[in-house]
Amino acid sequence: MTGGRLHPFTLLAIAGALPALAWILPAPAGGAWTLVVALALTLTPGASPGFTHIGSSPGWRPGLVVLRTALLTAAPFWLFLLLLHDVPTTIATGLRITTMVASFVWLVATLEPARLVEAMVAAGWSASVAYLLAATISAVPVLKARAQRIVEAQRCRGLSPRGGIAARLRALRALALPLVLSALHEVDERALALETRGLVPGIRRTPLAPPPDPAVEQAARWALLLVCLAALVRRFIVPRFV
Amino acid sequence: MRSLTLDHASFWYPATESPALRDVSLEVGQGEVVALVGALGAGASTLLLVAADLAPRVTGGRLAGAVARRDRSGIVLPTPWTQASGMAFTVWDEVAFGPANLGWPTHEIARQVDRALEQLELVPLASRDPATLSGGELQRVIIAAILAMDPGLVLFDEPAAELDAEGAHTLWRLIRLLAREGKAVLLATSALDAIPDVADRVVWLEDGAVRAVGTPDLLADVAACDAGLGTSVATVWRAGGLPEPYPLTVAHAVQRWR
Repeated sequence: MTGGRLHPFTLLAIAGALPALAWILPAPAGGAWTLVVALALTLTPGASPGFTHIGSSPGWRPGLVVLRTALLTAAPFWLFLLLLHDVPTTIATGLRITTMVASFVWLVATLEPARLVEAMVAAGWSASVAYLLAATISAVPVLKARAQRIVEAQRCRGLSPRGGIAARLRALRALALPLVLSALHEVDERALALETRGLVPGIRRTPLAPPPDPAVEQAARWALLLVCLAALVRRFIVPRFV
Repeated sequence: MRSLTLDHASFWYPATESPALRDVSLEVGQGEVVALVGALGAGASTLLLVAADLAPRVTGGRLAGAVARRDRSGIVLPTPWTQASGMAFTVWDEVAFGPANLGWPTHEIARQVDRALEQLELVPLASRDPATLSGGELQRVIIAAILAMDPGLVLFDEPAAELDAEGAHTLWRLIRLLAREGKAVLLATSALDAIPDVADRVVWLEDGAVRAVGTPDLLADVAACDAGLGTSVATVWRAGGLPEPYPLTVAHAVQRWR
């Protein structure tokens, strides 16, 4: 079964349970196991690199691009941990953080915001809350696309994002300011547009095509919750009575 | 019957001292198309936001005077990219986003969406991903999305800015059709040559205030031409040093020559 076909709530449950277990289970084994699962998920066919990948990778399999994005995003954390802590602590915390990053990257690559809105509305959530959550998840690809356009525009003006550290920092400054300003400007216009299209607090939106939520997935979500609770009890409550 | 009435309306954006709209009184009736013209910053877009009940409710700021709306309004903003919901797999879903938010039953949503897609000649694009559309195509999708919500008062802010000549022609015809269906249309546009065929009345805004109101003949007025608000034919006629009154359209110019 691919991530793209799972119900959005199941995807959220998996992406939430893995980091939770990474921190609950004893280190480093717990973090290592959850990380293996999270990295394996990034290789599933449901993950779309179009949402997440950093740079272009002609010839790469989509799953590998998502995996690479997760690892590249987590790499700086390992560097900082190594500067601040000893090796065992770095490994323990690094595995946990990498699980969190990989789970989030997999979620963003897999979860289609429109399906999430439909699922939440069908489950009785407020459409505004559903849109807010879905828009937060979809902000990554939106910002990525805009950053790409700005980089291309800056290239046309002769500013290259390649070269040494100084050149890259100059390019970063030329990217960050227009990116932030244009995002802020768009927020205003988007708020006006959504208001006029009826997305106001208190609406009762009609679900157009709610994704199917099979009983087996509902059971799996409850099972994930129970596993997390059991791990919590096993780790922190039971030792007090032993 | 009046769909929109502004009575001595003034509006200030947040943290500004001078009003963006000054003492504007205007009525738009059902079945009427009113065009707003003026230089950049004249207040046309602000007037549309006030008419749509977005200013000051969403934008913030302060409104003085009275604004009365009889019908639900829908506004088409100039940039289509910021108006897309971002929550649709297909053009059909995008157009259905607004009607679904209104809580309509699914059969009514389908009826309105199909009708809007036909009106904007978007049926062949119904299953396309909105992210793959050109600017002009997306603008037509957004217009369809607003019309699918069946607003009684339709507000257009530079609706032809992203459209090619053919798309713009379709839009102008559609606006006349909307008026025939009894909708009130308020239109801010710099496509001055289209106004004689589209609008019943023209409101000339200057520095946030109404400078003149009249029929589209206003766009052949000497003062309007002096302000850069004449139609192409009137402007060329004037530039050629030909005598007043200036013709409004090519047809008028031909009549004058004969």
